[in-house]
Amino acid sequence: MKNNRLLLVVFFLLCLLNNTAAQSLLEEVEKEVAHDKVFTQATFKTTILALGQSVQTRSQGTMELSANSRFWNIPQRTQGFLADRMSTRFGASYALSDRLTAGLGITTFDGIFDSYAKYRILKQVEEGKGSPFTITLFQNMSIRTIPNRSINASDGFSDKLSFTTQALIARKFTRNLSLQVSPTFIHRNSTRNPSDDTSHFALGIGGRYRIGGHVSVSSEYYYLANPITSATTFDAFAIGVNWELTDLMLQFHLTNAPNMAEDAFITQTRNNFNTRDGNLFFGFNATFILHFKKE
Amino acid sequence: MKPTILFLLLVLPLSLVFAQSRLIARQGQVSFFSYTSVENIEATNNQAFSLIDIDKEEIAISMLMRAFVFKKALMREHFNESYIESDIFPKASFEGKIIDFDASLPQSQIKIIKGSITLHGVTKEKEIKTTIENKGGQILLTGKFAMTVADYKIKIPPIVAGNIAKTIEVTFRFQYAPYEK
Repeated sequence: MKNNRLLLVVFFLLCLLNNTAAQSLLEEVEKEVAHDKVFTQATFKTTILALGQSVQTRSQGTMELSANSRFWNIPQRTQGFLADRMSTRFGASYALSDRLTAGLGITTFDGIFDSYAKYRILKQVEEGKGSPFTITLFQNMSIRTIPNRSINASDGFSDKLSFTTQALIARKFTRNLSLQVSPTFIHRNSTRNPSDDTSHFALGIGGRYRIGGHVSVSSEYYYLANPITSATTFDAFAIGVNWELTDLMLQFHLTNAPNMAEDAFITQTRNNFNTRDGNLFFGFNATFILHFKKE
Repeated sequence: MKPTILFLLLVLPLSLVFAQSRLIARQGQVSFFSYTSVENIEATNNQAFSLIDIDKEEIAISMLMRAFVFKKALMREHFNESYIESDIFPKASFEGKIIDFDASLPQSQIKIIKGSITLHGVTKEKEIKTTIENKGGQILLTGKFAMTVADYKIKIPPIVAGNIAKTIEVTFRFQYAPYEK
């Protein structure tokens, strides 16, 4: 009797053993596949969200060539083809490392030459321990090259400079939704009217929502805490569609900001967002991506 | 009492032998190649895992889609984000049988692996021809096969249809060593 009971126990033990062996081979391989830290990929596809910069930096050895245009009509009708006025910012940027990108650009209409550096300090982690946000620091310096459109009182070189500092903080909430806040500090070396502030604080809020594999809707709004007092200005707003092709990224949007350099569109937007001629700007950004280094 | 011990003595070594009949490859290479007149796309994954059960002639493979390395960083981003959707389907796997596999043969042998590929959440039956080489206990599996993109519900927008081949060529190379837990 005792013997039988022992046999029974052994039998059950063997059954258990068999059970672990019955686990399929694939299940065992799955367990082996390393699955440590997974970083979030592509919080935004483009380095420009809508108006301002996004947290995105390109991987090392990647160059971006961009032509960002604004088209608009002026209240006095002209016989302009498609649009009365247009402005284009021709830009180039190069990723010195996966974290650091340097870029420059010149805008035709306002004659602003701008240069910037972007450095990603944190990357959002999807699985495993790590940061819940991606944080990128942005520093811009721009020079107003056209004197009569200048905010400067004098012609000195340093008077034409403006500096924009941003901390870009973004999170990819779901695979479709990414949001960003961009606390901004702008310092202008001179103003047209002495009563205006030279230092400004602003906060950008923006996001994108993916509506297809290659198409997303994006919007951005910049709240300016201390606008200039000598003229009426409005907060910059944009809403549009991003379309990602192979090496080409296209962005189409509607905005009230004609300028493209950060210090200009945040502090110098003279119109509110509506559809009246002279107030509504159609934006078209085309960015071409070149890889100089193989992965 | 005696038969029980005898039984145990018989069974325990058996299960040990059973555990040793397995082979593992931790750094298997899987590459795919898409050739069109517009551009060539090539990517390699050097971190594919595989197990072979010699007794049952079974083989299983699993890999992370994010581990594929492309020539261009942007291709990798598009591949993961828009095509293979690795945030939803992080892995690709294969499960099957190597028909008439004989691990003890010293010379190379060509065998058929019959099984199913799971990619982008779609499982498809597949027969793959493989060359098996035995190099002093280290077994090397190599081969090449074709996959049709449309079979795996990978959406390609018409505008880039010219850049991505309809049929992708896949090559693999797995080097196995005895599996110790």
